[in-house]
Amino acid sequence: MSQSQPANRREDLRLITGRGRYTADVNLTGQLHAAFLRADRAHAQIVSINAEPALRQPGVVAVFTGADAIDAGYTQFPNLMSFAGRNGAQILKPERPVLATTAVRYVGETIAMVVAESALAAQDAIDAIEIDYRDLSAVVTVTDALAAGAPQLHENVPGNLCFEWETGDARAVEEAFAKAAHITRLKVLTTRVAPSPLEPRGSLVSYDAASESYDIYTPSQGMMMLRKQFAMLTGVPEEKLRVHTNDVGGSFGQRSGVYPEHGALMIAAKKLGRPVKWVGSRADGFMSDAHGRGIEIAGQLALDSAGEFIAARYDFLCDMGAYLTPTGSISHLRNPATLMTGVYKIPALYGAFKVVLTNTVPIAAYRGAGRPDIAYAIERLVDRAADELKIERSELRRRNFIPADAFPYKTPTVGVYEPSDFAGCLEQALTTADWRGFEARRVAAKGRGKLRGIGLSTIIEATGAGVFPKDQVAIEVDAAGKLTVYTVSMSSGQGHETTFTSVVADTLGLPHAMVTLRECDPARELIGNHTGGSRSMAGVGSVCKVAADKLIEQAKPLAAEELELEPSQVDYAGGEFKSRDGEKTISFVQLAQKLAGRDPHPMNTLAEATVGSTWPNGCHIAEVEIDPDTGVTEIASYVAVDDCGTVINHQIVEGQVHGGVTQGAGQMFQEEVIYDRASGQLLTGSFMDYGMPRAGLVRDINVGDHPVPSKLNAIGAKGVGESGCTASLPALANAMTDALRPAGVGHLDMPYTPSKVWHSIQAAKINPSK
Amino acid sequence: MTKIELTVNGTKHSREVEDRTLLVDVLRDQLRLTGTHIGCDTSQCGCCTVHIDGRAVKSCTVLAVQADGTDIVTIEGLSNGDQLHPVQQSFTDCHALQCGFCTPGMIMAISAFLKDNPQPTDEEIYHGLEGNLCRCTGYINIVKAVKRSAELMK
Repeated sequence: MSQSQPANRREDLRLITGRGRYTADVNLTGQLHAAFLRADRAHAQIVSINAEPALRQPGVVAVFTGADAIDAGYTQFPNLMSFAGRNGAQILKPERPVLATTAVRYVGETIAMVVAESALAAQDAIDAIEIDYRDLSAVVTVTDALAAGAPQLHENVPGNLCFEWETGDARAVEEAFAKAAHITRLKVLTTRVAPSPLEPRGSLVSYDAASESYDIYTPSQGMMMLRKQFAMLTGVPEEKLRVHTNDVGGSFGQRSGVYPEHGALMIAAKKLGRPVKWVGSRADGFMSDAHGRGIEIAGQLALDSAGEFIAARYDFLCDMGAYLTPTGSISHLRNPATLMTGVYKIPALYGAFKVVLTNTVPIAAYRGAGRPDIAYAIERLVDRAADELKIERSELRRRNFIPADAFPYKTPTVGVYEPSDFAGCLEQALTTADWRGFEARRVAAKGRGKLRGIGLSTIIEATGAGVFPKDQVAIEVDAAGKLTVYTVSMSSGQGHETTFTSVVADTLGLPHAMVTLRECDPARELIGNHTGGSRSMAGVGSVCKVAADKLIEQAKPLAAEELELEPSQVDYAGGEFKSRDGEKTISFVQLAQKLAGRDPHPMNTLAEATVGSTWPNGCHIAEVEIDPDTGVTEIASYVAVDDCGTVINHQIVEGQVHGGVTQGAGQMFQEEVIYDRASGQLLTGSFMDYGMPRAGLVRDINVGDHPVPSKLNAIGAKGVGESGCTASLPALANAMTDALRPAGVGHLDMPYTPSKVWHSIQAAKINPSK
Repeated sequence: MTKIELTVNGTKHSREVEDRTLLVDVLRDQLRLTGTHIGCDTSQCGCCTVHIDGRAVKSCTVLAVQADGTDIVTIEGLSNGDQLHPVQQSFTDCHALQCGFCTPGMIMAISAFLKDNPQPTDEEIYHGLEGNLCRCTGYINIVKAVKRSAELMK
C-alpha cells in the first residue's frame, strides 16, 4: 500500500482552537446536575442515612440512595471473566449496588446522589446528608487480605479470595526444576497506579419516556462495549440505549467499563424526567476511577548448564480492590497467562493466580493490563539469572529467543505467536544504544560521582482479541464523491481520524481530505470492538482496508455500465476506473456523482472481518544516571525498537511510544497509589500527592521501527498502544539494578523515588547485599 | 451576587456572579467558551490556563470577581482569524497533542511563557511547563513545539 504521510493530524485543528467537544462540554435543555456523597472511610456498615436535610437545601430536586439502587435492581456489575477457576469454580462476584446500601468498602464509594438545579447547589447539599456508620477494620494489601482472621469484605467471598486459577503444566515444571543446573528466584510488585487521563470522568443522561430509551453522553473507548455493559448492569435492552461520545480526553483502559455513576444517573433521569449531568472532580477521580496494575508476582526460572531456560513458574497475587470491575480480573489473568513464556523458548511453564479483594478502589485494565506485569517479572528474572550465572545479558536472551524458524510458535500455555524477529529487534536496539560502548560511559559517570547503569528488555504482547466476534466498518459516499467512514471503536488520542481515513484514501488512491471518520455514531448500528489492548489499527484499521477494497469491487460493475464494458474489463487504480486498454476512464468522483440520485448511494459499503490477537514485540534499552548524594535519577538515554507490524503513520506510532514509555517511567520513578495500612485512607488523592510525570522526566526517546508485517489482518499492523509501558518497566528497572549494583544495592521494588534510592544506598554501605 | 464586566476575546460581557464563582465557570458555563478545560481541583494540571491582561493564569484559581474589569483571552481567541498562533501551529506540526484535553491550557501557558522568555533553554522549558500536566504525549513533542514556537516567533 502506498503510504503518504500527512504532516498534521486531521483532528488537530479543532483541538488546538478550543473546538473539541468533550463530555463536560455537552449540555441539554432543562438539565439538572448531580453530585455524589462518597464514603469517607474504607470499611463500615451503614447504620442509617438521613437525606431530608439535603432535600431542604436551595435548588435541590431529589436525593437518591442505595434504596433506589435496590428498587431499580442495579446491583450486579458485569464481569467479563470467561473461564472457570480451580476445580471448576466460577469467580465469586460480590454484589455492588450503584449506590451503597448496607456497607461501604473503599474510600470514595458512592453512597448517595443529590440532584439539583445547579452543580454548585448539588455539591453544597452533599454535606447536609446525615449518615451513621459502624466502622469495621480495613485491609488494603493482598497479603493482609489473605491473612488468617482478616476482615471480610463480602459474605460471599470467604477469605477475600474470589478466584483461583492455574495454567500450564505443574508437573512438567516440577520435573524440570528437579534437574535444573540453576534456579533464579525473584518476587516483584507492579504497583497500584492511577491512570489519570486528564479529562475527568463525567456523564449526562436523558430519558425518553415515550420510547423508554436513554441517551447517555459519556467518555468511552467504544460504544458497543460500553452499551453492552450498561445493558448488563441495568437490564435495559441495548436497543433502548444510545451512547454518545465525541472527543475523549485520554482513556488508557480506565474508560472501558461501566461505573456506578452511570447507573445512578440513569435512575435519576428516568425518575425526574429531565436530563441529569455529572462532571467529576479530580478528587472524585482518584477515589473512584478504576486504578491499574497492583500485581505481586513470585517468579522462578530454571536453567540448564548451558544457560538455556528449561522451566518457569509464577505465582500471582492480583489485587482487585473492593469489587470486580468488568475488565480487571480477566485481563490480569488472561494476558499474563498468554505471555508467560515471553520471547523465550521455555518448554515447561506454570502459573498460579489468586484474585484478592481489598478495601481499595476497584482495579481495571490500565495500558497493558497484565502485559507489563508479566514482562516485568520475566525480564527482571532474566537479568538476575544473567548476573548470577555471569552470562552477558543480551547473550542470555539471544541464547533463549524463540528462533525465527519456530513460527508460528505455539507456547506451552495458550498463545500461538506469529512470525517475529526478536534477535533483529535486539541487535537494532543494541546498536542504536551503543550497548557495547557502555562501560566507558559508566566509568566517565563514576568520575563525576554518579552511578550509571544500562538495562534492556525484550518483550512481546498479545493485542486484544476483542469481545465482539467481528469488527464492521461502513463507508458512505455522498453526492460530491466524498466518503464518510463509520466505526464503533473510539479514539481518545490515538488519531483514528488521521490513520483510518488514510488507510481508506490510500487504498482508493484519493486525497486524504476526501475521507472523514465518524466514530460511535449512535444512529449507526455496527458490530465492533472498543479501542483497547492495542487493537484498533490491527482490528478496525485493517477492516477499513477491507472496506475500501470491497467498495472498489462493488463499484466496478457500476463503472462498467457507465463505460459500456463488461465488469471484468474494468480495472481500478489511482482514483480511476478504466478499461483494460486504458482507453475509457471514469474517476471515482465522477462515478459517485453520476450515481448520486440513487438512495442509498450504490457505492456505500459495509465490510467486516474477524481479527484476533496480533503479537507486537520489541526491545527497549534505558540508560540511567543516579546521583548517590540525593538519590535522584536521570534517564540519560532511551532507545525503543518496536515491531508493531506495518507502520501506517510513524509520527503517531512515535507518539504512542513516547506516551507509553513516559507512563512507564512515571510508574517506575514516582507514581504510586498509597493507602494508609491502618485506616485504609487514601493518601494520594490529588495531583499534589500523586507523582504524575511532568516535562523533563523523559527527555528524549529514540524510536525505531522494526516491522515484520502481520499476516493476521489486511494491513499487516500489529499494534503499538501499550508497548511503551510493557517494555519500559523492565528496561528501566534493569538499568536501575545495573546502576545500583556497584553501590551494593540489590533488588528494589518500584517506584525508585529519590528517598528510596538514597536510603538503599546508605543501608548498603552498612550491610551490602550479596 | 456581584456584577462584573469582562472583556473576553475582544467582546465585552457583563454578568451577575456569586462571590464564590470561579472565573473558569463563568467562561465555560455562562459564556460557553468550553475550550478552557477543568482537569483538577488543586491548580496542578493547567488545563484551565487563560490570559488575563496578557499574563497566563489558571482560571480555576481566580474568582470571577477578581477578574472584574480585565481583558481575557481564551484558546478560542488566540488565533488571528484563520491564522493560527505560532504555538497552535507548532503543536500540530510537532504532534504535540494526542487527546487534546490539556492542549488549550498548554498552548495558553506556553504562549505567555515565550513572551517572558523568547529563547528558553531546555531546563527553562521544563520549568515553564511545571504547571501543566499531559498524560498522553510524554511531553517530548510538547518541548519540541515550544522550541519551534520560539523559532516562529523570532
